[in-house]
Amino acid sequence: MKFYADLHVHSKYSRATAKDLDLEHLYLWAQYKGIHLVGTGDDVHPVWMKELQEKLEPAQEGLFKLKDKYAKPMDTYVPKACRAPVRFMLTVEISNIYKRMDKVRKVHNLIWSPSFEAAQKVQAKLGAIGNIKSDGRPILGLDSRDLLEIVLEADPQNIFVPAHIWTPWFSALGSMGGFDRMEDCFADLTKHVYAVETGLSSDPLMNWRLKQLDPFILVSNSDAHSPSKLGREANIFDTEFSYSAIYKALADTKDKGLVGTIEFFPQEGKYHYDGHRLCQVRWHPRQTKENNGLCTGCGKPVTVGVMARVEELADRPEDEKSKRHRPYWNTVPLPEVIGEAKEVGPASKAVQEAYMNMLTQIGNEFYILLDAPLDQIRRSAGEVTAEGIARMRKGEVKIAAGYDGEYGTVEIFKHGEREKIEKQLALF
Amino acid sequence: MNNPRPSDLNEAQWQAVCHEGSHLMIVAGPGTGKTHTLTHRIVRILGGHVPNSKNEFGTCPHLLAITFTNKAAQEMRKRLEAKVPQLWKHVTVGTFHRFALSLLREFSEHTPLPNNFQIALPEDIQGFLEEIFPHKTSAQRKETVEEISLLKSTQLVIDANEDYQRYHRFLHSRGLIDFDDILRETLLLLENEDVAAVIRQRYPYIFVDEYQDINIVQNALLKCLVGGLGQPMYGRTDGSPLLTAIGDPNQSIYGFRGSQVKLFHRFQEDFPGTTVMQLNENYRSTVNLLTASTQIISVGAYCNTPLHAEMIDEGRLVIHEAATDRAEAEYIAHQIELLVGGVSMFSQDSNRVETYRQAHRSFGDMAILYRLNAQKNVVMEALEHLGIPYAVSAKGKIKGVETQNFASLQQDQKDEIFLQQFEETIDYNVEKVSLLTLHAAKGLEFPVVFIVGCEAKLLPLDFNDMKGDPQEERRLFYVGMTRAKEHLYLTRAGRRQLFGQTFFNPPSMFLADIEEDLKAYENSKLRRRLSKSKEAEKQQLKLF
Repeated sequence: MKFYADLHVHSKYSRATAKDLDLEHLYLWAQYKGIHLVGTGDDVHPVWMKELQEKLEPAQEGLFKLKDKYAKPMDTYVPKACRAPVRFMLTVEISNIYKRMDKVRKVHNLIWSPSFEAAQKVQAKLGAIGNIKSDGRPILGLDSRDLLEIVLEADPQNIFVPAHIWTPWFSALGSMGGFDRMEDCFADLTKHVYAVETGLSSDPLMNWRLKQLDPFILVSNSDAHSPSKLGREANIFDTEFSYSAIYKALADTKDKGLVGTIEFFPQEGKYHYDGHRLCQVRWHPRQTKENNGLCTGCGKPVTVGVMARVEELADRPEDEKSKRHRPYWNTVPLPEVIGEAKEVGPASKAVQEAYMNMLTQIGNEFYILLDAPLDQIRRSAGEVTAEGIARMRKGEVKIAAGYDGEYGTVEIFKHGEREKIEKQLALF
Repeated sequence: MNNPRPSDLNEAQWQAVCHEGSHLMIVAGPGTGKTHTLTHRIVRILGGHVPNSKNEFGTCPHLLAITFTNKAAQEMRKRLEAKVPQLWKHVTVGTFHRFALSLLREFSEHTPLPNNFQIALPEDIQGFLEEIFPHKTSAQRKETVEEISLLKSTQLVIDANEDYQRYHRFLHSRGLIDFDDILRETLLLLENEDVAAVIRQRYPYIFVDEYQDINIVQNALLKCLVGGLGQPMYGRTDGSPLLTAIGDPNQSIYGFRGSQVKLFHRFQEDFPGTTVMQLNENYRSTVNLLTASTQIISVGAYCNTPLHAEMIDEGRLVIHEAATDRAEAEYIAHQIELLVGGVSMFSQDSNRVETYRQAHRSFGDMAILYRLNAQKNVVMEALEHLGIPYAVSAKGKIKGVETQNFASLQQDQKDEIFLQQFEETIDYNVEKVSLLTLHAAKGLEFPVVFIVGCEAKLLPLDFNDMKGDPQEERRLFYVGMTRAKEHLYLTRAGRRQLFGQTFFNPPSMFLADIEEDLKAYENSKLRRRLSKSKEAEKQQLKLF
């Protein structure tokens, strides 16, 4: 079967996350978004783990469902058009901060587990060497390679995925805390890494530029810190709905189970360009070069973003694809599209109302963004929003690229354009 | 002996390595390469410097190296193994207690002890006390046991009072000896000249690290091992072993355990014919940190030979005054976050971290030192709040040993457990910030060191009924400061909660001994105060 999976999320026990980031709200928002399989996040956190054991029960092999008594009360909030089964997979992200080859490395890694036993083995091993209680995404002074070893020892069916591999500060290939080569990071165990997460600031096209990434399949997830951010990016599978089928889709280079990914426009990510947020210096890598990497505001080196970093390590022309390439679809979150159409903020009441209205009348967000007929969208949300989605599907959006921790800003309509579209409609 | 000096030894170290023909005392300050020099000397005597060559013994001699801690012994074994993989097993490396215990086991038929005597752990003894001293309060019992222990480590001949006898009768009746007895029983054993002769024959060379921290019993043991017992003795012409001791009287910090720094100064009397050498080149700390620590120790120092800094870079010496102990702890946690370059996305996004600074520290580079264990809780809370991994030094335990299996262990495994129990160590599997008492920090080094609670009452310790010897407290502070290679933070709190009481402590008197120019203040109030006073100075100057 075809299903959407978002396998990098957090719980309320991670730092700087929403208070309602619990299983019930993940269950709710997964249906709003059209996600069938969502990660639990934070599964080594003792309190969260307890909650998972209490509230989840086995469903398909290696996957879990929210028990009825917890799911039922949430169902009333889900429009009929969006209702669908939601399954959970046991996941966690670890922040590895350590010294390697005389440099401090800060690498985030994802661990996906096939069972509570496997997750608890990882939990026990990590609990013995570090503090897993004060943050759902624990910080360990442990080498990424050693973490990988621990994970594989705990259960060979565990899946290990380097997270958002281009983020400057916290990733395997990041410009500030990372390595130049995956082999430098994972050494002898590199072959046990099957997939890498592209992160919001890069899309598959950028990752194909590196031959060293050819062995890995690219996955995309939201890294959500609140339920509404679920599905900003996601994976589309078409295979058996089970953990082992997902494992095979990643590990077996011939398997076609992973059929594609849903992506941000990479410019929208927080670290696409270079620059200094406080100095409001936002530079294309070319401008960074022209200024010798030094901020014109404060004179200090700018934070080098993902685009420049990819270019630095790239060894393949822009028009070639990696062998394990999959198609992907760039999207803009629906509330942002609606906000653009209405010229109001994506968190405004008007947008929220329109959003729920569309979910009720049309279906879940992924369906609206990717598949729903424009006529249907037009009838539900009006001409401008429909035009916004049409343009998004064609990639006709203008984005002021994100830089130094600041998200990029989307512009679908030019000034005065919305009125024109409305007027055209009125003519008929 | 005409080999050229290896490049990893300076001239003074090389001379110490090559010295022959007499006992040797190496006076070596912090960071001057004590273990390095000692290891080289051992290797040289082993004959390992020239592969396949035979030394004067015809075969490889057996060497005895005594370290202050089990951890130091491990470190030395590791270095020897790396340098002389075929020969390192000829060196017996261990603490006084470990070595003494092995002698007691080996020669048990020559001791009055039962065949398979056991060592009573402090917690065992705690459990016995009610039975031994039924008429004392628990505070009195604790005090009595401390007195007995101090007596046993400071007096060779003990005028045993009623409590002392009662205590020992009890232990003997159960086939137990305590930690101090290990050394005293060995001393008795070595009064047997036949046994002593065997052991002297076995170890023609003896090395002792951290000599400033030995006590009178250990000193007596050494005299027995060397032989001659105060008789003049030159070279090893009479076949008696040669002793090499290394230490730094300025780092003597175990007076409360019976260590006597005067033994250090009496070395030449105890071991006549001794040659004394000095190592003065410091390879650990940056020049300004070294200057500051020298200013601390030169007030009433034993040994005034200044150290010479080989690290010419400028380090950072920061004095920080926080309003409360909690604020002090949060300041430290935040500094750690800055030094690592942020620990979470959140710290990046909110610009908590100056993003331009290329991070170059990891958690294992940093240590937080305190005078009293009770000070650490508030620090741990602050670190946990930011999710910073840390490790607190603790009395060692052998991993994977269940107490119910204990009886079935081999004697040597049991001994190992006992020995480890008496030492504070940190178990490193992964990088963590080290939390240590100043005492436990001895012998370690870190690029970044925080000393918290640089306040009156804590440094020097003069707190309720706890009072340290002011000179020893100064040395302790010196030991703490000299752990730092590049960054040293001396922090304090205006208000501190400790043992349920609130204190408003003025700064430690030690801070005043560091010259102002070396200090950077990271505290707005202080900076203002300072700049005001500088401003005032300028104004005054203008008046003239």
